[in-house]
Amino acid sequence: MKKIIVSGFITGCILFVFSYGGLYLAVKYFPSLFTEYFNPLFNSDGSRDVLFYMHAFIFSFALSWFWDRFKTLFKGMFILRGIEFGLVYSIIALVPVMWISFSALDITVAMVSSWFIYGLIQATVAGMVFAKLNP
Amino acid sequence: MHRNILWITVLFVLLTGFVKPRNFTVVTETKWLISESSSLSVNGTTNINKFACDIPAYDQTDTLTLSRGNKEIILSGDIRLKIQSFNCHNSIMTHDLRKTLKEKEFPHLRIRFLSLSEFPDLTAKPAMITGFVDIELAGATKRFQVKYLVSIDDQKNIHLLGSRDVNFSDFNLIPPRKLGGMIKTNDKLSVAFHLKMRDLN
Repeated sequence: MKKIIVSGFITGCILFVFSYGGLYLAVKYFPSLFTEYFNPLFNSDGSRDVLFYMHAFIFSFALSWFWDRFKTLFKGMFILRGIEFGLVYSIIALVPVMWISFSALDITVAMVSSWFIYGLIQATVAGMVFAKLNP
Repeated sequence: MHRNILWITVLFVLLTGFVKPRNFTVVTETKWLISESSSLSVNGTTNINKFACDIPAYDQTDTLTLSRGNKEIILSGDIRLKIQSFNCHNSIMTHDLRKTLKEKEFPHLRIRFLSLSEFPDLTAKPAMITGFVDIELAGATKRFQVKYLVSIDDQKNIHLLGSRDVNFSDFNLIPPRKLGGMIKTNDKLSVAFHLKMRDLN
């Protein structure tokens, strides 16, 4: 249990820097990709900013538990284990969520695809960190 | 002593109570009929792009009254614009702007004209004057000084172009911010309106 929490917290910190740093740079250098976010679907009064920035930790603690439970299934070098873990997460969680999001919300394929890629990279990085911290 | 105070009070009331307040004496009055081809535009910026929203056609027939007094020039009348008529040329941004302006609670934007700095000489060459207006938006009213360009064309249409920078915060509105503030709209908005009018006199 301690390993799950510690590795979840460390991974959360890494993902926080990696995810929001990446998002900041993406907004700065590819602004046209983000114009679709001026949509009433997205919260615009700042009341949920704390929840938004907590996402890296919610994500890392959930994946830390998942990793601890199924880590024996991921074999090889830590990089390979991380990639496989990211792909498994993407197939079982991201694909169905993106599917229902696109079908129900007024969003574009580009937006859903970017969320998918973002989640895949996050899970892959998390998998690599877990493979090192909790082999 | 008390009796003196009473007499002084009565005397004061008698001397001042029937003095007429200084009234605005109208020397000349002109009425302008606003035509449907009048418009309003709002330009703003975000940290990723610029946006331009407009109300391309004013759908009501209203009049403005220009009164020249001894010293001041009063421009009275108002225009009431539907927030729903705003078009940002992008349906998603249009919806977002309407939501930001609290369209459901406050469906109209009102500009109430108050005064002009000078009586406009209507010529083909636009004359620059200033004036005060009250802008009512999202339940808040704020007074602004507006720059005007006034002119008249060959068809005797009077053109009043007003422009002014306002802030979302002037009306207690929060500029839209998305993704935890990574994408944010700047507070400043440039408002411009073009009233095309006919002289009714």
